[in-house]
Amino acid sequence: MSDPDAYIALISSLPGSERLFVAKQPPLSRLRLDGRLKALTPEDARVLKVMEHALSWNEYNMDVTDAQAVERCKQALADIPQPTLRSLFLERMDLRTVVAALRMRMQGGSPPAGAFGFGRWSRHIPANWGDPDFRLSVPMPWIKEARQLLEAEDPLGLERLLLSVSHKQLKRHAGRHIFDFEAVAIYVLIWNIFDRWAQSNAQDAAIRFEKLAQQAMANVADFDFERVSA
Amino acid sequence: MNELVLTLGWLGIYAPMALGAAASAIGCAIAGQASIGAMTETEGGYGRFVGVSAFPSTMVIYGIVIMFTLNRDVTPENAGGLFGIGILSGIALMYCGIWQGRACAAAINATKEKPEIFGLALAPAAIIEGFGVFAFVFALVISAGIS
Repeated sequence: MSDPDAYIALISSLPGSERLFVAKQPPLSRLRLDGRLKALTPEDARVLKVMEHALSWNEYNMDVTDAQAVERCKQALADIPQPTLRSLFLERMDLRTVVAALRMRMQGGSPPAGAFGFGRWSRHIPANWGDPDFRLSVPMPWIKEARQLLEAEDPLGLERLLLSVSHKQLKRHAGRHIFDFEAVAIYVLIWNIFDRWAQSNAQDAAIRFEKLAQQAMANVADFDFERVSA
Repeated sequence: MNELVLTLGWLGIYAPMALGAAASAIGCAIAGQASIGAMTETEGGYGRFVGVSAFPSTMVIYGIVIMFTLNRDVTPENAGGLFGIGILSGIALMYCGIWQGRACAAAINATKEKPEIFGLALAPAAIIEGFGVFAFVFALVISAGIS
């Protein structure tokens, strides 16, 4: 259990996490966030870094194997002493394991031998490979929608659903922590979700721009620009 | 034996003042840290934050008044009463001060995002203040029965 009053000034100096999702402009850049996080003790800063290193996709190379990712998560879990953060970490790993299994099955993969992924469902999933929702629709009610989005080949919709589920998980834990280290860690993880959310919006905009540009250019495909300029 | 009883009597006289001072110091420090943090994030309304962070300072005032009310010649007959009232009212004031500081910190943190809830956000701190007043007033009432 962390000191409940450890980071009062730090938490009060951060814009509310709800504001991150409604603001047109990011109310807090990563640079400013890192500046505020200098108030953390070295031990807390290390734990936060370990969590981000294991949870942030930006920290993974494209060629990382499943075994390497699972090993990194196991090492991270051993370095996180706070029960709330451990529980939060495991919930995120459960989510990723289920989504990875859905993707694998979608690509025609056969049930993995032994354990799959990381967490409490790693043996349950291969045992229920034939069920559309791996018999997890009760503990994970979002799994049906995720499967449907995956089948509809809507990666952006799936990304948003997963970010939304992760955000709800974090907010549920945030209610019990106001000014302690767990509150700071949860804020940073929510900021990371906001960052990915903003990136997915930017990607959406880029795709839409590309389509519009192609449609516009299709009408002038035979246009001779050199003659016009002459 | 009488010396120990007299010592407890003097402890009871000074306890509300000492514990009230500790309560105010801790409470104001907790709420003050929140106001400093909020000031780095907001563009105005700093005076309100500082004012709210001073709320727990009332606990030491209550402690001083209780101390003066209990202050009298300590005898083996009245030492037990002085000790009981002084220590228990001091502990009550200390808890009120610390938790009022936390309530004020939460209020400051919330009102930096939504200034319109400033009054309502202070309700928990005001209720805790009420409990501190109970401890203060009834310490005065009970102390009238000590010779």
